[in-house]
Amino acid sequence: MKRCTRTILAATVAVLLAVPAFAAETLKVGVQAPITGSYANEGQGIENGVRLLAEQINAKGGVMGRQIEVITCDDQGTAMAAAICAKDLVNKGVSMVIGSYTSTCAQAAQKTYFDAKVLQTSDGTADGLTEHGYWTFLRNSFPNSAEAEFAANYMVNVKKYKRIVVLSDFSTYADGLANATEAAIKKLGGNVVSRDKIKADSQNFTPVLTNMKSKNPDAIFFAGYYSDGGQLRAQQLALGIKADFIGGDANDNPDFVKLAGSAAEGAFILNVPSPDVLPYAVAKTFIADYQKKYGIMPASIWGLMNIDGMRAIIHGMEQTKSFDTKKVSDYLHNLSEPLPGITGPIAFAKDGNRKGGAYVVKKIQADGTYSNEYVQ
Amino acid sequence: MDTFLQQLANGLTIGSMYALVALGYTMVYGVMRLINFAHGDMVAASAFVGLTIYTQVLGQAVSLGAVIAIFLLSAVVMAAVGVILERIAYRPLREAPRLSAVVSALGASLVIQNGIMLIWGPQMRIFPELVPQVYWDFGGVVISLIQVIILVLSLVLMVALYLFVEKTRMGAAIRASSIDQDAARLMGINVNSVIALIFIIGSSLGAVGGLFIGLYYRGITFNMGWQYGLYAFVAAIIGGIGNIPGAMLGGMLLGLFNAFISGYVSSTWSDAFTFILLIIILIVRPTGILGERVAEKV
Repeated sequence: MKRCTRTILAATVAVLLAVPAFAAETLKVGVQAPITGSYANEGQGIENGVRLLAEQINAKGGVMGRQIEVITCDDQGTAMAAAICAKDLVNKGVSMVIGSYTSTCAQAAQKTYFDAKVLQTSDGTADGLTEHGYWTFLRNSFPNSAEAEFAANYMVNVKKYKRIVVLSDFSTYADGLANATEAAIKKLGGNVVSRDKIKADSQNFTPVLTNMKSKNPDAIFFAGYYSDGGQLRAQQLALGIKADFIGGDANDNPDFVKLAGSAAEGAFILNVPSPDVLPYAVAKTFIADYQKKYGIMPASIWGLMNIDGMRAIIHGMEQTKSFDTKKVSDYLHNLSEPLPGITGPIAFAKDGNRKGGAYVVKKIQADGTYSNEYVQ
Repeated sequence: MDTFLQQLANGLTIGSMYALVALGYTMVYGVMRLINFAHGDMVAASAFVGLTIYTQVLGQAVSLGAVIAIFLLSAVVMAAVGVILERIAYRPLREAPRLSAVVSALGASLVIQNGIMLIWGPQMRIFPELVPQVYWDFGGVVISLIQVIILVLSLVLMVALYLFVEKTRMGAAIRASSIDQDAARLMGINVNSVIALIFIIGSSLGAVGGLFIGLYYRGITFNMGWQYGLYAFVAAIIGGIGNIPGAMLGGMLLGLFNAFISGYVSSTWSDAFTFILLIIILIVRPTGILGERVAEKV
């Protein structure tokens, strides 16, 4: 009898939990980002930004009367968790998803959002992300191919390197960027002496670097993430490899400098302009609000790119006066005039790519700060 | 030749870290016939403890004294955690079927890993540059100060442990307990203290290993214990689990094997080759390189 009562009680509780509270309908915004794991720093930055923006919009009365409700799912930076997150967020009824930070995770979740007609905006830069023709996907960063051309031009024509090593990990983003850069270097007549890969998070990169040393390179182009990049740079100098280190955009994180320690000095990092030098008024106020709320600068430009993606989607909803994601997507793909964004003007090409974009090469100084070395 | 010697130096550095961690596995297995899966996470925890001692207790001073203090304090803290772990997770199950203790070890591993995440956060934490970046170039082969420190300190600790176990009365008690706990008890050995001692030594050595990881690689994450634990576990099996010189040899061999496979074959497949090596050793010599064939106690 006792067991029977308990079962009924448990069932009742389960039903009660499953039925949502009958509050006014909210606009559900999903955050799919690496809240834990190696890229947690970036993932938390995305979540913080989304929550801040939602708070600001809610304070002004929400989106067409609906308050924004933020639902976060931690994809840990892994494809498997990302796929689960996508299902989870769709089940929870989100109409847009901000994220993820990595292309691998954005890609693993894309199809699910497309099938469910949920808009997704990600800073993933892998070219493949916009090649499926999903109308639900809006890239808020710039694709690898654009960065690859800039990188190749800088290394071959500006720095005149004769022997370049291209290095990446196995992720969708890094491998894609490295391949595109290698192709672009060759197109410009440059010389790639080796194309190597490391395993992300493995910490010990000396075997690969030792082999690289025998090829006597004068530049190492590393397409990969800051958590590996900082250690690579330190180990590179520890092995006496004098080559210049040129990191792709995902190396642009304060942790790169901390990990590399004194070895950081002299390393080059490619990216779009960083948050503190963004000249736009909307950037200055948002970053000031962010610092006031969280006590820190945004981790990097990537969180802000995602916020711009979210701003664009909400802008689209308000302009079309509709929560219909297809209508919003059509509107955003045909913006007559770019929306002023935190990270620059936002407009989307037909395939979901963000239009325009400038790059800079930053050099790390002895005190860990950046100086702009070359601006496109 | 340069490349070969460089890989050798790198392999020995990594290998000595594996060996230090493997000693913790092998000693616990030797006496308790238990694979302490929580050991790898203890190693990770020690890196975080060391970092906190540096930032909170020592006030971020960079000096030789500070480095020594970090090592000593972390070893003491981790030894205490090790003893508590044994008391809570393993002692109540000592008479239970062996599988229960293994499950308890896996549980302890998760508890420690999540504990680290709760206390220090999920993101990567970064160790300060405590050892100056000093390098010596021997005709193309570059050796850094930190590598020398890791190698020398590991060898000193391993030799000291070996002498302790082989030459002292306490060591004799450990060896006796590893052969037969009941007989040892009849001879007047306090097996409980022997086990506590083993956890103290194993956790302290693991703490040194964890700090080496922090000092050498700088970046530490809450879940890194799994990777090092796995490698050290493989090292202990290769050397002959339960055998102290075996763990040292296994660790060094695994480090070298990894370096050469990554260097000459493929860094992508180094893990796969590691496990192929493990399988081959288990087929050819199931007791490991230095392990002795003993009748299985069921």
